[in-house]
Amino acid sequence: MKKVLMGNHAVSYGARLARVEVIAAYPITPQTQIVEELSELCANGELDAKFIKVESEHSAMASCMGSSAAGARAFTATSSQGLALMHELLHFASGSRLPIVLANVNRAMGPGWNIWTEQTDSLAQRDTGWLQFYCENNQEVLDTVIQSFKIAEQLALPVMMVLDAFILSHTYEIVDVPERELIDKFLPPYMPEFKMDVDDPHAFGALVTPDNYYEIRYKMQKSMEKAPQIVTQTGVEYGEIVGRSYDVLETYFCDDAELVLVAAGTLVSNSRAVVQEYRSKGIKLGLLKIRMFRPFPTEQVRKILLHIPKIAVIDRNISFGASGIFFQELKAALYGRDGVSEARIFGFIIGLGGRDVRLQDIAEIVDYALEEEKPKEDIIWMGLKR
Amino acid sequence: MSKVIKFNKESDLPPLVMSLGTTLVNKTGSWRYLRPVYQDKTAPCIEACPASEDIQQYMYLVAKGEFDKAWETLVAENPFPAVCGRVCYHPCELSCNRGEFDQPLAINAVERFIGDHGLERSLEPFKIAADRKEKVAIVGSGPAGLTCAYNLRRLGFKVVVLEKNEKPGGVLQFGIPEYRLPKDILAKEISRLEDFGIEIKTGVEIGKDVSWAALLKYDAVFLALGVHRSRAMDVPGEELDGVISGLEFLSQIARGEKVALGQNVAVIGGGNTAMDAVRTALRLGSKAKIYYRRTRAEMPAIRDEIEEAEREGIEMEFLVTPVRISGENGRVKEMTLQKMELGAPDESGRRRPVPVAGSEYTVTIDNVITAIGEMGDFNFIPEDMLEWGTVKTNHFGQTNIEHVFAGGDIIEQPHTVVHAIGSGKRTAMAIQAYLDHVDPETLVDKISVGFKGGFSFERFNDGQTGDPVDNHQVVHYEQINKNYFTEKPRNEADEQEISAGITTFREVKTTFDAQTVIGEALRCFNCGVCNMCDNCVIFCPDVAIKRREDDYRYEIDYDYCKGCGICVVECPRNALSLIPEGK
Repeated sequence: MKKVLMGNHAVSYGARLARVEVIAAYPITPQTQIVEELSELCANGELDAKFIKVESEHSAMASCMGSSAAGARAFTATSSQGLALMHELLHFASGSRLPIVLANVNRAMGPGWNIWTEQTDSLAQRDTGWLQFYCENNQEVLDTVIQSFKIAEQLALPVMMVLDAFILSHTYEIVDVPERELIDKFLPPYMPEFKMDVDDPHAFGALVTPDNYYEIRYKMQKSMEKAPQIVTQTGVEYGEIVGRSYDVLETYFCDDAELVLVAAGTLVSNSRAVVQEYRSKGIKLGLLKIRMFRPFPTEQVRKILLHIPKIAVIDRNISFGASGIFFQELKAALYGRDGVSEARIFGFIIGLGGRDVRLQDIAEIVDYALEEEKPKEDIIWMGLKR
Repeated sequence: MSKVIKFNKESDLPPLVMSLGTTLVNKTGSWRYLRPVYQDKTAPCIEACPASEDIQQYMYLVAKGEFDKAWETLVAENPFPAVCGRVCYHPCELSCNRGEFDQPLAINAVERFIGDHGLERSLEPFKIAADRKEKVAIVGSGPAGLTCAYNLRRLGFKVVVLEKNEKPGGVLQFGIPEYRLPKDILAKEISRLEDFGIEIKTGVEIGKDVSWAALLKYDAVFLALGVHRSRAMDVPGEELDGVISGLEFLSQIARGEKVALGQNVAVIGGGNTAMDAVRTALRLGSKAKIYYRRTRAEMPAIRDEIEEAEREGIEMEFLVTPVRISGENGRVKEMTLQKMELGAPDESGRRRPVPVAGSEYTVTIDNVITAIGEMGDFNFIPEDMLEWGTVKTNHFGQTNIEHVFAGGDIIEQPHTVVHAIGSGKRTAMAIQAYLDHVDPETLVDKISVGFKGGFSFERFNDGQTGDPVDNHQVVHYEQINKNYFTEKPRNEADEQEISAGITTFREVKTTFDAQTVIGEALRCFNCGVCNMCDNCVIFCPDVAIKRREDDYRYEIDYDYCKGCGICVVECPRNALSLIPEGK
């Protein structure tokens, strides 16, 4: 059924269709409406789940972990400082191999105190062992929540799905909400191989000495490496049942492109519009959307970009002392064991703290990259007031 | 059983951080340097009770609806629950930790319920020792004498109680008015004691029917005569007709005798006898009024009694003292009073009233009832046994004749029913110790309850739960984990309508119903004693605490207890202690 939903409620509807069993969350702008809607669904009986009110994001994640370890499908949502407060337990959740799904609304880190969109909060958690998906629109938001559970449960790893503050979280779009029967067919109940069970007691998450810890980490990485294939397969299955397919990446006019833009989240939509415009003028511009950031789909990226002469990465984030984070990942991916890309890679930083990224801003990026033979500096600051 | 599992390659490992066997192999108890132990302590109410009733224990039982067991717990320390539930001044409630939280527990009202329950169900106390050949004589059948008799009987002794009056009960029978303590309640509590094998001989006066020398032939003697003479005011006109002693007035009423009172009755004094007398006079149709030489704050009477008297419309005039009573034809007519003011504190800590010069005034009066204090009547007791108008004893009630003991109001202690009961119990233990040639001082550590002088008969008798008890540690408010309690108002017993001009001797307060009494008992913090709330089990991060196999209390598996102390902190009632390891 088609509904007009804000991004936050698209998350709530997705979680509801996924039949989450435990929700533990702490309010933070611009996430609050996600769990507010879920709490109402719990209260009015539309969702048979336990809603746990907690006193911090740290406790929210702890509650999700306990529930998940006991075999429940657990969900939480947060943003920015809230996500940062969870940091310790993000490691613990993935190390415990718990398929928790977390919705993070991308919001800039303070200070300066700022509630608008930026990718640094989630990207700063890239080494915590969580899968990460970045969504472009509210339809993808809803569909990604549902797929996230299936992916997480197959890999026994937690998934963070990300949407932009306000641009998606508070913006209403038409969203097709799939029929419950379809989602039930797509996503069976969670049946963990191991769970906390009083009839089969084991100790979970206990001390592991150097003698075994190394192997534990190895196994976790091996599961991560399986993720691209599982994500692709899950996206296909979702398409077969619901009618919309997803993959780790999405390409737009890349095959013959002389310049490919690389972006994630809502930056993709604007870039797509700019590509259309340039293509209509006969300029060979392409676009690569990074939907899955962790694990980074290196093989897939290389397949698409190895032959492209120029690449422009658009980062709404910054790793201080280095550069844009997608930019780093891209460069790392293109310097690989089966060959090195000879592309000129431009790293643009734009729209920090929620500053608007308009079509003409993207066009400026394109013009810059087309014009210059190679980047003049590692970070090209777009729209900086100088 | 647990063993160390060796993983040789990564595929041997489980897919997540999880033990394949149990972790019992890792005896984390070896990390411990502090040891949590279950250790019952003393609730402040128990310490405050002169009869050392195990209040928290019967609250625990009442809360579970186990009224019979609650009664057994009560009569283990006090044979008069239905009496005390009515007349006790309940110092326990003043000490109740709940008082700092919201309102103290209505202990007295719960005690009354249990006492009445015992009477209704005709519950009987049980003997705890085989019969012994020694015979003990007890002089006086008030609360001290009968309590001593009861406990000696429980210990197997033959007991005979010699009572001067025609009926047993002492002050309970002839002092406390019917509206506070119905005679049928008293009769039932006493007859239960008689059924228990206590011989009470009434109408027996020492020095007349039984000689002092004959009395001393018993293996032990307990003197508990009580004090029955009102102290004289020593003012002119005290000999006039219409001037009555408060105690005599009350005992005449108790005997059903007619006492002709006039319209205006002045009651002199601020203690319980004064309150009893003035309220009784009111019920007989007089306009009775209290005259007291200090202020309301210094009145020694039970607060409830003062408040009830006020609600009955009793007027009270403070800071006045009679200086003269004058009459006509040998009968009282007027009383002259002098105003007083409060000076420096005296030895009782209360400010001493001093006369205000030139402040005399006169009131017209039909009767004066004097209630300014009581004195003993020691005609048969040797002079050298007395000191300052009391019988001189050691801490255990032993007099200068080693097999003669004394207790109740004739020794130096507050004149209350519950103190009398406490002294009767204490002396019973001392008599057994004497007859067994045991120094009672060696028992003090074992049987004392807190630091206010109370002794536990249960502990004397080894009737313990088997859990370690620290009877010297009293749990104070700071040691209660308040997070586990919510405010809940105290239940109050219903009262019959109290109004000016009341004429009925019907009891003022009613007894709780079963639902209310359980609700009230559930308010109890159970200070210092485990009530099986399971908090320790829930919080133990090492799952090292479990209920015992008999489902009574808990046990700690010290192989795995790391000594973190969480159980101790999370115990709402301080029933666990943390002690250094190896000590």
